[in-house]
Amino acid sequence: MTSSEDGAHGPGKAGRPQPLNAPLFRSLMERMQEGGRSVVLDLGPAQPRTISLLSHFRCRLDIADVEDGLPGLQEDTEPDILGEKIEALLPAKREEPTDLVLCWDLLNYLTRPALKALMNCIAERGHPGMLAHALVAYSTTRMPAAPNRYAPTEDFGLLVTPVTAEQREAPRYTPEDLNQCLPRYRRERAMLLRNGMQEFLFRL
Amino acid sequence: MFELNKKRMTENDQREASRDEARSEPTPAASRPTTATARPAAKSASAGAAVIGASIQIDGDVRGEEDLLIKGEVNGTIHLPNNTVTVGSEGTIRADVHAHTVLVEGVVEGNLFGSERVCVRSSARVGGNITSPRVSLDDGARFKGSIEMDDEAPASKSAAKPASKSTSPSKANGDSPLPSTNGASDPSAKGEAARP
Repeated sequence: MTSSEDGAHGPGKAGRPQPLNAPLFRSLMERMQEGGRSVVLDLGPAQPRTISLLSHFRCRLDIADVEDGLPGLQEDTEPDILGEKIEALLPAKREEPTDLVLCWDLLNYLTRPALKALMNCIAERGHPGMLAHALVAYSTTRMPAAPNRYAPTEDFGLLVTPVTAEQREAPRYTPEDLNQCLPRYRRERAMLLRNGMQEFLFRL
Repeated sequence: MFELNKKRMTENDQREASRDEARSEPTPAASRPTTATARPAAKSASAGAAVIGASIQIDGDVRGEEDLLIKGEVNGTIHLPNNTVTVGSEGTIRADVHAHTVLVEGVVEGNLFGSERVCVRSSARVGGNITSPRVSLDDGARFKGSIEMDDEAPASKSAAKPASKSTSPSKANGDSPLPSTNGASDPSAKGEAARP
């Protein structure tokens, strides 16, 4: 089995969920169990399993569902324009700042300027020390044409559901690319997963 | 999750059915004794509810003491604190809803407050915030907004509540309640692989 055929990021068959072992996500959830109230920002679409899992914690879940706005971010490179577009996609800033951001594989579908603008806008909403969990195509050269659906499981794994069988080239952002695009964050941990994805934990 | 929802639905249906039965009981002065027998058994939470029909548009506050099914359009606020509000699949509301139970199958732009629960069905599109002790969202539903999961959520101020456990390791690196990981290592540089 090649990495591109392995469940989480390969073409797969649309609609068939695949389990994905993401150790950094598991450790995050375990730490949330130990901590107090937190605010979680999920950039993906609302998923029943995410709501179910986080209902066990003292938290507020903000669901941004920014996927529909991705096409509008592909053309622009001007940071101010991108910032305005992204602000319109994100939940309004609130007094209680964000503690954890779930990016999952959304970052793979952003240009470098859009990635930088998005993470800057999110940083404006975050606590000092806010964490961002992301999955970035690393060793795999191809990825689905649209972001997969990710949902957590009760044992803190992930279920990945492809929404399309079509593929496109993966940007394969390197850690150095990400450092340049996320200047306000520092890479706290990273792990290479079996499916060719790199699991990242960034801290603001 | 899904089994739990089904259980809740069953309980809700029973509760709604019993409400309908109570309403259907002929009063001593009832002049239409056939009403009770003519009414079909309650099949859903919206059975027997007052209906805002598909051609009706209401701008303003809606208040009352009975269940409500919205098939039309409501712009404003809805206050039915002891009852169920159902936004039907053809319904559209731009309103904050305060109800015992809120069921959404249509389009909502506004905040939903359910003292018992809020259920977002697969056909629903919701933009707004949800506050309720029980929130369920069916696969396929579109939701954009916030869901408050914390019964003891701070009312409005920015200060997050301190950790309930004194042993919480938060604040170790800034103010985030999420504790720092073990060191700031970057195992990827060493090619660390996840377990199968």
